[in-house]
Amino acid sequence: MRTDDLIRQLSTGLVPVRRVAPPWRTALLWLALATLLVGGAVALHGFRHDIAQRVMLMEEQVNLAAALLTGIAAAFAAFQLALPDRSPRWALLPLPFAALWLSGLGWGCLRDLAQQGWPALSTSFGCMRFIIGFGVPLTAAMLWMARHAAPIRPGPVAALGGLAAAAIASVGLSLIHHLDAAAMVLIWHGGSIALVTAASWLFGARALRAAGP
Amino acid sequence: MRDVPDGALALGLPVTPRMSASTAARDVQDARWSALMAAAQAGDGAAYETLLREATPRIRMLCRARIRNPAEVEDAVQDTLLTLHMLRHTYDPTRPFGPWLAAIAMRRAVDRLRRHGRTAGRESQIDDLPEAAAAVQPDAEQRLAARHLRDAVAALPESQRTALRLAKLEDLPLAEASARSGLSVGALKVATHRAMQSLRRRFGVEEPAAPKRGRREGE
Repeated sequence: MRTDDLIRQLSTGLVPVRRVAPPWRTALLWLALATLLVGGAVALHGFRHDIAQRVMLMEEQVNLAAALLTGIAAAFAAFQLALPDRSPRWALLPLPFAALWLSGLGWGCLRDLAQQGWPALSTSFGCMRFIIGFGVPLTAAMLWMARHAAPIRPGPVAALGGLAAAAIASVGLSLIHHLDAAAMVLIWHGGSIALVTAASWLFGARALRAAGP
Repeated sequence: MRDVPDGALALGLPVTPRMSASTAARDVQDARWSALMAAAQAGDGAAYETLLREATPRIRMLCRARIRNPAEVEDAVQDTLLTLHMLRHTYDPTRPFGPWLAAIAMRRAVDRLRRHGRTAGRESQIDDLPEAAAAVQPDAEQRLAARHLRDAVAALPESQRTALRLAKLEDLPLAEASARSGLSVGALKVATHRAMQSLRRRFGVEEPAAPKRGRREGE
């Protein structure tokens, strides 16, 4: 096909299109949806019994804030990256918050180790179920809202969507579930977030291409 | 924040009067394209056609910076035009048009290079064998047959040619071929099937017997 013919074909019978909303507005909409879903689950399960003491701890406040900021930053970055002309550097936005969260947990692990020896590690599949259970549908919602990313950057957008969804689910879970040892939080929360992010990168990009324009 | 700074400023090079004049001309052109695109988003086909015709040389230049083979360059240009069409609702007229266009063109050029790299990799393994190289030496007859085939493909209707190129020659998965061509999966299958039928008829090739274990068209 000649390029001239293609241009003629594309311009014939052109229909008006509705511009996509600015990324910050789409991100806010998605964050509202995520807060509603995860907040609903928190309200349903009730807060953990020691919530009053936990939120007074500086370390806990930093960890919660860092996880929440990771989720918010990843959501903003995902919707920015979904547009062709935005810099790929947007992908770096959640990294400082994720690093702060991981270093807070790492520091907690060292302190636990110094004070009590290595804590008894047990399995907590409940954590994983919660984070994956909320992470996957919220990632799917983001992929739908950012489906215009399909022809340009499907992989990074899907991965950031997974990170945002799982990080916010992890904050919700921290308010419900009694899990004191930093090592346990690191393994189960961090592990679940990493799993959702990796799965989103692998499968989300494909799903995005299928749902794309 | 300007996300994609371009030209000498981004590289920290000194800006000469000649360069700043060409940058100014480009800015004027970008502003014009931005207005044309805004009109196209509102459904103005004439503005859209003008925009695509004016922007195609820049797209070609961007693709040529990445790809050497002229035929591949033209394919990348067409891929870019198709993607631009598909994503025209993502352009924000308050932002410069150039970086938006360049990002799409770069993406499609890189995709084209990757696909070409994969194909070239497969081909070179066979061509390296001396007996294979001797067996596939093109002679006049083969070249003539290839010419006839190219003419026959060129004579196909537009949609069938696109379907054949994406689904058979580039061997894309149906979903991707559908996304790239703007045709539905169903329409793509029908167009591919009709294209194959038409070519078979033209070259007097019999329809293949019905397969015992149904291999579906377009797979």
